Amino acid sequence: MRARYYFGETFANFKRNFLMAFTAITTVAITLFMVGLFSIIVYDVLGVLNSIKSQVEVAVYMEDNISDELRVYLEEEIKSWDEIEDLRFISKDKALERFREENEGSDILKEIQGNPLPASFEITLRDPEKVSQVAVRFLNKDGEFIEGIDDVIYGQNYVDKLFSIIAIVGTIAMLIIIMLLLATIVLIYNTIRLSIHARRKEIEVMKLVGASNWFVRIPFLFEGFFEGFLGSLIAGIILYFLSKFLLIRGEMALVDTMRIKDLAIVGSGEVSVYIYVGLIVLGVLVGLISSALALRRYLKV
Amino acid sequence: MNMIEFRNVTKIYDDNTAALKNINLVIKKGEFLFLVGPSGSGKSTFIKLLIKEFESTTGTIHVAGRNICKLKTGRVPQLRRNIGCIFQDFKLLPNKTVYENVAFTLEVIGKPSYIIKVQVPQVLKLVGLYQRINSFPHQLSGGEQQRVSIARAFVNRPPILLADEPTGNLDPTTSDGIMKLLSRINLIGTTVVMATHDKSVVNSMRRRVVELENGEIIRDQKRGVYGEQ
Repeated sequence: MRARYYFGETFANFKRNFLMAFTAITTVAITLFMVGLFSIIVYDVLGVLNSIKSQVEVAVYMEDNISDELRVYLEEEIKSWDEIEDLRFISKDKALERFREENEGSDILKEIQGNPLPASFEITLRDPEKVSQVAVRFLNKDGEFIEGIDDVIYGQNYVDKLFSIIAIVGTIAMLIIIMLLLATIVLIYNTIRLSIHARRKEIEVMKLVGASNWFVRIPFLFEGFFEGFLGSLIAGIILYFLSKFLLIRGEMALVDTMRIKDLAIVGSGEVSVYIYVGLIVLGVLVGLISSALALRRYLKV
Repeated sequence: MNMIEFRNVTKIYDDNTAALKNINLVIKKGEFLFLVGPSGSGKSTFIKLLIKEFESTTGTIHVAGRNICKLKTGRVPQLRRNIGCIFQDFKLLPNKTVYENVAFTLEVIGKPSYIIKVQVPQVLKLVGLYQRINSFPHQLSGGEQQRVSIARAFVNRPPILLADEPTGNLDPTTSDGIMKLLSRINLIGTTVVMATHDKSVVNSMRRRVVELENGEIIRDQKRGVYGEQ
């Protein structure tokens, strides 16, 4: 019987105070939409940047006349380093073969005589950010390459810039998301407080005729819950269609024009389900907590 | 039996104004008592202490033999279910009908719906508003609204009825009707405490009168009148 009263009361209040409920739902929807949209964009941008990051490799070119023993020794030595995830040996022949494949039909091939390409190790790292530390290991005390090594290439400038861009983008995005979240919470809290304020007389009467605090509270909590849920659901639905029909296409076009084919577009994948679930959880929580906090004042009759 | 008993009750508000000073008063079961005095004399504070809207600063208040000053916050609703309240501004819920307003009291205290369906029409017949059962408060006159609020206060048959200026917004004829209704409720055995400064009402009833001034009892008369002219 109680449960029926609570539900009945919640929906009756929805109907009676439609405008207030509508305002609350719209507020939740708009603010959470902003949070969600920004999260998805940031998520994608960071995803793209990170997929670039994971492609960072170190190429170690060997001197032409390197002995097999030294090569094997170096290979074992490098493999034993903690930072190394994988090491591939590319022989001179393999390097030439690869060069031919990549430049098929090009005039350049005719000009090549013999095999001018060096043998190399291609190293991938567990943590791409340690790339410059690894590169330093190929130098001796005087700053020259150790015996048998001709050159080490990992695109210093490019890699360092990439990492600082990722760090800056990530920090700024974090700050903006936190600010958006705060704004969201304050807006939703105020809206719900207004709607409760509009019904303070009802609460007063309830308390005066002997309603317990929980009896007063529960319909309002239900209402906060539903407003949060409906609002975030609306935000999620709009966001889903927006990202499906606009955002992802936009990103694909961008990726196409920038000729970075192999990069993953993360926002389109299942991972973004977390964003939607997160939005709804956030909406419901903010709705519930706002209602509970806003009620405290009025329960003191 | 003592229904309400104030022992050395003093109420000092946060801003250091004393609303009640060392009040001692016993109200017996079934009594009808007028609390009179000018605005600010402490009448409303007296009533608010009884429903524990405020706490007394010192002294003890007993209701039906229980010391309500020691009542835990969680038990306050229980106290209020035994005290019906009527106000000058009626405090009806504007978006509920007459029936819903009265039924609300019973819903709030968790009465099953079959009891609500019986008791609400009964009490509305008692106050003479059975035919307006589906009206909204704004469709009723002031007197009718006060009757609804009396029905709401009384539907649960509380042993005590508190009325804070119930005729304050009503014309003399309408007030008369309200007073007749309160007398009837008193006759059934309900203890009625009414704060008022409506002279004619007090003088026509000739019941016990307690006069407050600056938070002190300056007169306590059986079958009293409002005050010296």
